[in-house]
Amino acid sequence: MKDLKELKKIEQFSDQCMKCGFCSFFCPVYQEEKMETSVARGKNFLIKEVLAGRQEFTPEMGDIIGKCLLCKRCAANCPSKTQIDRVVVGARAQMVKEKGLGAIKNFAFRKVMANRKAFGKYARLMQKFQWMMPTTEGKIKHLPDFVKGLGKRNFPALSKTFLRDQVKPVYKPQNGQQAKMRVGFFMGCAMDFVYPELGLKIIDFLTRHGVEVVVPEDQNCCGAAIYFSGDLETGRMLADLNIKAYKDLNVDYIVTGCGTCSSTLKDYQKYLPDNEDQLQRYTEFEKKIKDSTEFIIDILKVPPEEFKLKKEFEGKTATWHDPCHLIRYQNIKDQPRAILKALKGLKFVEMPNADLCCGMGGSFSVYHYDLTKKIALKKMDGIKATGADIVVTACPGCMINLLDNVLLNKMPQKVHHLLELVE
Amino acid sequence: MLKESVISELQKIVGKDNVLTAPEALKAYSYDGTTSWIHEPDAVVFPTTTDEVSRIMKLANAEKIPVTPRGGGTNVSGGSVPWLGGIVMTMTKFNKILRVDKENLTATVEPGVVLQDLTMRLAKDGLFFPPDPQSFLGATMGGIISENAGGPAGVKYGVTKQYILGIEVVLANGDIIHLGGRTLKNVVGYDLLHIFISGEGTLGVITKAELKLNPLPQARKTLCVVYDDVAVAGEGVFRVLENGVIPCKIEMIDNWVINRIEEMMPIGLPKDADACLLFEVDGMPEVVEKEAEKIAEITKKYGAKEARIAPNQDEANKYWLARRAGFAAVFGKAKQVFAEDVTVPRGNIPAFIKKIREIAKTFDVEIVVLGHAGDGNLHPAVLTDPANKDHYERALKAVDAIIESAAVEFGGVLSGEHGIGLEKKKFMRKVTEPAVINMMKGIKALIDPNNIMNPGKIWE
Repeated sequence: MKDLKELKKIEQFSDQCMKCGFCSFFCPVYQEEKMETSVARGKNFLIKEVLAGRQEFTPEMGDIIGKCLLCKRCAANCPSKTQIDRVVVGARAQMVKEKGLGAIKNFAFRKVMANRKAFGKYARLMQKFQWMMPTTEGKIKHLPDFVKGLGKRNFPALSKTFLRDQVKPVYKPQNGQQAKMRVGFFMGCAMDFVYPELGLKIIDFLTRHGVEVVVPEDQNCCGAAIYFSGDLETGRMLADLNIKAYKDLNVDYIVTGCGTCSSTLKDYQKYLPDNEDQLQRYTEFEKKIKDSTEFIIDILKVPPEEFKLKKEFEGKTATWHDPCHLIRYQNIKDQPRAILKALKGLKFVEMPNADLCCGMGGSFSVYHYDLTKKIALKKMDGIKATGADIVVTACPGCMINLLDNVLLNKMPQKVHHLLELVE
Repeated sequence: MLKESVISELQKIVGKDNVLTAPEALKAYSYDGTTSWIHEPDAVVFPTTTDEVSRIMKLANAEKIPVTPRGGGTNVSGGSVPWLGGIVMTMTKFNKILRVDKENLTATVEPGVVLQDLTMRLAKDGLFFPPDPQSFLGATMGGIISENAGGPAGVKYGVTKQYILGIEVVLANGDIIHLGGRTLKNVVGYDLLHIFISGEGTLGVITKAELKLNPLPQARKTLCVVYDDVAVAGEGVFRVLENGVIPCKIEMIDNWVINRIEEMMPIGLPKDADACLLFEVDGMPEVVEKEAEKIAEITKKYGAKEARIAPNQDEANKYWLARRAGFAAVFGKAKQVFAEDVTVPRGNIPAFIKKIREIAKTFDVEIVVLGHAGDGNLHPAVLTDPANKDHYERALKAVDAIIESAAVEFGGVLSGEHGIGLEKKKFMRKVTEPAVINMMKGIKALIDPNNIMNPGKIWE
């Protein structure tokens, strides 16, 4: 009998499914493909077949379990509360265990992303060559046609100076305030390489509100793309590095402005543990993690009148996109809205289906870019219906994909992180 | 296994992407919403036009390949499981709402339209399609018609067959026929339309349907009525109706279900109640107010402990969410559940419930009731575990006893809304006159002489 260790871990979740098929209504991939292999019920059935020894991890099976955004819309609406995200990640982990990662992911995850210095080096290399990429508008580049696998997509330019090269190790509260609390700032890759100003902005906001901020140099990638692809081993390595980076800093919380990072750091305990010790350490770590929106509203309790709208957004209409990693992974939906509604001079309009996945799904969009675009089209319809000038969210991953699709659909909207709007 | 030439013919008809033969895909089309009816097809095809369906049927008929039509695959009878292999004809991409006609209160739809999508579309015009099978999030119109589906609203609005004016059907030989029409009245010859509605896909493939719609009610009210005795709750159902109120839904949850719901998502249902009835009334705002009060009055007069009128829609939603969660609660608690679909005349509900309790005692198994009490479709569910052989045997006997008592003793039927498919096949002969079965066979032989349409189901 084969060792099905990773699958055995999720067998109990897989057993929850009673095959009602209601997931089909909520699955963005099924809504495009209308095939049973696209939807949670089908994937779960096939994964159970693997558990029963009747199905191997064939290339087709790999495609099927790969074609999931992990948006958790099905899980959130499942009558029997099947945690299909855990089932899918478990199946991917089992597959990685049996078949390896494949050359591209192996290089990307283990040689580049898992090593902060190497990641920086490669990013810098890309930065040097990005003049070769045609410019769409301002700081937005699009990948040239010869990068076939990625399609002709629009991309925000890599920043000239990365965030890590600009930050100080410690920021004291401004205006001589006594520090209310001490938090560790977690930048995340996108903020580090693409949106460094945003990182500085968040640090500035926190210190202005009496928070002492420390930014450990040896923090790493959160590991989302890595462990959600089934590379739990590298995921655990990153988890351990990140836990170590903040261990002796004596911080009350660890705050990040990236919805995916905050959810990923919180969920180490859910997807990664291989033993009791890890479970305990990851669970301990989870307690410290706060998404920036959650931290500002629930912990700092910044009152509405203290949110000032930045001048350039005066009189604009904004709509909010719920990142999957905020609304469903962390149940954060009221906090960002509270901030938006507090900003005087900004008109806030809900878009239809604000919780619909933008279609990014991390590496999903690399392998299934056509599907990403189709799924994003529904998001774009929602945005159009609001007549908003700006689309606001709090996940750089979503921002990159929203930006691409707004431009592809020749829409006038600008895409912003929520905290970019705040003075 | 299908011949290479057949596969390539199919690919010619619907395009390469719309023919699946990979083992993984075949597995994904081997099941429906039931627990244990599983059989793989040899190919899965996705037609998007009537012409494509017709050409597939001609090919299948010439080669004598079984064809099982399938939509969302949410059915709970085994009806869309390809029991003899062959082709699964999946209609999920054949899914346009072709017309919404406000003047005539009708809609024209393709078979793959999901009921919830239709509901959302119709709401824009202030209309709705009244039958409400609770699988509405995945169920498609072709399947809903073929299974003559119903739901809680059956008590006031009836079931699917009352809302189908006409259909387009592709027969086993590829012929395209039209039955019924677009009018409310239609007595032109035999009523063949209704043989296809509830035909469970054994007579032909429905490719288009003309639906009868209603204007969306302006207001709704929900009541939660609490009982110390489940049989008294059963009486409450017909007392309300005989006193002149026709609610759109009357649902029953028994003590066991109430407690599972409270474990999963506490909403404050009374855990010591033997049963609760959930009522919903709909219509003009003034009318629903009056009707809700009247229901509270009647139920209390006939033995209810408490009748709570939900003060707002939020609380009403909570009750209905709980009702839906009840279904999951039952399935989550047992390895296998025999969710029976027997239906009795309303007046016999109290006696039937008492009988169910006796049966549970006799065979020492858990039998829970959460069903559409308003139309006698009670869904008693027997909980068991196939791994425990002794228990499983007793559960099977309990199922036999339930069906026997409902269908014979209490003048009811074997299935109210799920259909026979595979799940209820073994009971079909028991409760149906041989002459009737022979007539069904004769009709089948006439319409599908090669027996390729969804073979192995209902009476076979």
